[in-house]
Amino acid sequence: MKQHKTLKKFATALVALSSAVILTACGNGGGSSESKSSDSNLPKATYKLSKTTPAWKSDKSKMTTLTWYVNADWWNKDYGKDDITKQIKKDLNINIKFVTGDDTKLNTYFASGNMPDLVTISDPNSKVARTAKDWAYSLQDLGNTYDPYFFKVASKDTLNWYKIDGNSYGYPNYSNTSADYKSGKILPRDAFIIRQDVKDAIGNQDFTTPEGFVKGMAAIKAKFPKLTPFGFNDFSGGNSSLENVVQDMLGVPITTKAGKYYDRDTDPDYIKWLNSFREVHAAGNITDDSFTDDADAFNEKVSAGSYATMMMGSDVNHGTNLQDFASKNPKDAYIAIDGIQSTEGREPTLSQAGISGWMINYISNKTKHPAKAIQLFEYLLSDKGQMLTNFGVKGKMYTQDKDGMVKWTPFAKNIQSNDPSAWQQKYRIGEFILFGHDRYKALNKDSYVKSVWQMQDWGKKYLKPQFQIENIAPNTGTQEARALGAIQTNWSTTMVSLIRAKDKAAFNKTLDNYKKFQKDNDISAINKIRDANIKANMKKLGMD
Amino acid sequence: MKLRKHQKRPLGVRIVDWGKSWGRQWQLQTMVLPGIISMIIFNFIPIYGLSLAFRSYSVTSTMASAPWVGLENFKIILKDKYFWESVQNTIGISAIKLTIEFFLPIIIAIMIFELKWSPFKKLVQTITYLPHFLSWIILGGMLITWLSSNGMLNQILNMIGIATKDNHILNANSYWSIASLSDVWKEAGWGTILYLATMSKIDPTYYEAAEMDGASKLRQIWSITIPEMSTIISLNLILSVSGLFNSNLDQTLVLMNSQNQPKAEVINSYVYRVGLTQGDFSYATAVGLGVSIISVVLLIITNTVTKKLNDNQSVL
Repeated sequence: MKQHKTLKKFATALVALSSAVILTACGNGGGSSESKSSDSNLPKATYKLSKTTPAWKSDKSKMTTLTWYVNADWWNKDYGKDDITKQIKKDLNINIKFVTGDDTKLNTYFASGNMPDLVTISDPNSKVARTAKDWAYSLQDLGNTYDPYFFKVASKDTLNWYKIDGNSYGYPNYSNTSADYKSGKILPRDAFIIRQDVKDAIGNQDFTTPEGFVKGMAAIKAKFPKLTPFGFNDFSGGNSSLENVVQDMLGVPITTKAGKYYDRDTDPDYIKWLNSFREVHAAGNITDDSFTDDADAFNEKVSAGSYATMMMGSDVNHGTNLQDFASKNPKDAYIAIDGIQSTEGREPTLSQAGISGWMINYISNKTKHPAKAIQLFEYLLSDKGQMLTNFGVKGKMYTQDKDGMVKWTPFAKNIQSNDPSAWQQKYRIGEFILFGHDRYKALNKDSYVKSVWQMQDWGKKYLKPQFQIENIAPNTGTQEARALGAIQTNWSTTMVSLIRAKDKAAFNKTLDNYKKFQKDNDISAINKIRDANIKANMKKLGMD
Repeated sequence: MKLRKHQKRPLGVRIVDWGKSWGRQWQLQTMVLPGIISMIIFNFIPIYGLSLAFRSYSVTSTMASAPWVGLENFKIILKDKYFWESVQNTIGISAIKLTIEFFLPIIIAIMIFELKWSPFKKLVQTITYLPHFLSWIILGGMLITWLSSNGMLNQILNMIGIATKDNHILNANSYWSIASLSDVWKEAGWGTILYLATMSKIDPTYYEAAEMDGASKLRQIWSITIPEMSTIISLNLILSVSGLFNSNLDQTLVLMNSQNQPKAEVINSYVYRVGLTQGDFSYATAVGLGVSIISVVLLIITNTVTKKLNDNQSVL
């Protein structure tokens, strides 16, 4: 009896307490949910606007501090300590307080309503990006009100791509427009590569057809029993280089002829190749460890040259490891050759960062310094800012010849080769990338390690944009998004199971199960959304 | 009796009394305060977040402005294949873990307790505790290497004449045993601490008397050690049964891959994937809430059962 009463009291207290909490929380939440969609209430600029000079040159306001949230834990938060950010601080009279975090922190910012001035995220498909007009200033409004020069340095195509209801809110780094693709300054990153010594030893092997591929791998095994004949990227955070990268190598179309969504994963040509990978695996020429290795284990194997051949996705990211192996074994270094090609006569269609770019920068509509914020965007996008962030201070770190090509000064070269940590920390060369673009990297051959030059050259002619199918997934939280999540999970399992299947019958059965799973999860409803999104993309791109 | 007297007095007097006794203990009370505050902040306030389970929430709007959708999210759960798979795996792995991890520490503790040579006793204790202090990130990496095709396990198997080149972590059917056995290896030693502490409190004269009566070692363990530990054993049982649905997130995230996923995905990792990775917070919250309710029910059931076993006294 006694116990019962205490329990009852406790329960009452608990209910009272939690309802009190709910009520207060509601009170707070209500206030912050109102959104500004019209920016007519932007205060006027305190300086004279000009279309031909950057506004930061005329804005004489005192030092302003901006908080910049970057949704990436690895981002270097230092500001004003290295040559590059020192220069930004001096030119713009801006102090930046960087904050980094992951999605949890980002969501906390939104839930609290206490927003940083600038926000950088990296998923254009996310709810945050898709509802940007509720929480960010439109770049058009800011540009017109404070810095018309912004439109001179921002790419029209990129701005247009990020338009929501007529206004752009985010501006990404590494956004490649079709003009960039045509310019030859954007380099491919995927290639089928082989160790030079292996290539020389196995004689004439044809890796371009499924049958030749299986035979070639067996030939490698016979000559180099210690090497794993075929390797590919690790599976941490994706489906290795066996999905999109192989599909690009085979030139699998991205849409149907009628401009509808095309399921690249079940393309007959691609499936044929998966089956040949199965044969390679069954012959013991793909090791199961490739499916469990994490990024570190894979990197280690690349720099040790454990794989005779590799389907290398993103060679630039593995440049250091490739270079490691190449410097130790200059005669054996990996080179790109023709391999894994379409059985239907299609050319490879290698992809690179698309028009959506990588990290997207926003200016929060809660900021008290919208003028300074847009000036910062404009500065970092301009030639001056790009040269500064890519190559450091002119004269001290680099010189530029008549054609605009960049050369490191002896001083810079010395630091780069003898003190890599100072290169990154003190001089911060090529590391302040929030508005980076490959166009500028192309001005200096030394931007990429030597070991990938030949690979980049190999794929140059195959580069082709895939803008139409960027960001076409259904909105998160919808039934379609959930179903798609399940299908993608199932596909990851299916793809590896296909390669590890014991025989052709097991292979076919696994594939049929996947197709059935797609149907059970109403893939047609998902594809309808994808089709609509592709159509909207094509309209933005002027392709309809 | 005392309590009843208190209740008869007028409220004012009672408040004054309460204040007085609080004043007498203010040093003690302030020590409790940080605990209470942190409990309110980290345990009570987040209860509000549970309302997400009944809403359709998007991160860019506030929780309060998210529209109510009633039981919509729960209805979807019922049809979600991956959720049910994760429930199955959670219960399966937990059940194996619970059975072994409940008995093994008791046995190890008794064995350590019976060791009379203290340097060896210390050594055994240290070795069994050691894996507990390694995080799953490190331990998982080690396991993956050990279980890989050229790993330690296969080398041992090859040595004793079993030819195998399998990568065991890819084999979905062996995942349950890998997950539970590795967890047992990591935690069993640590689990003995509570038991050893309890055993050191047992009056040595019991054993002397038993020895005089001619009781064997096993008889002594059965009739003295185990009954003396019964409270702490049943407390441990309650805690572990209520944790049946608390799967090990760290372990799963490290050991799971696309091949063993059908047997490796547990509720926690599923909630993590759907909620944090895919940003579907409402749905993930609904899953979490459902699991919590089941856990509370389990807790109450085990408490009732152990109470019955323990002469109607609750150990909680």
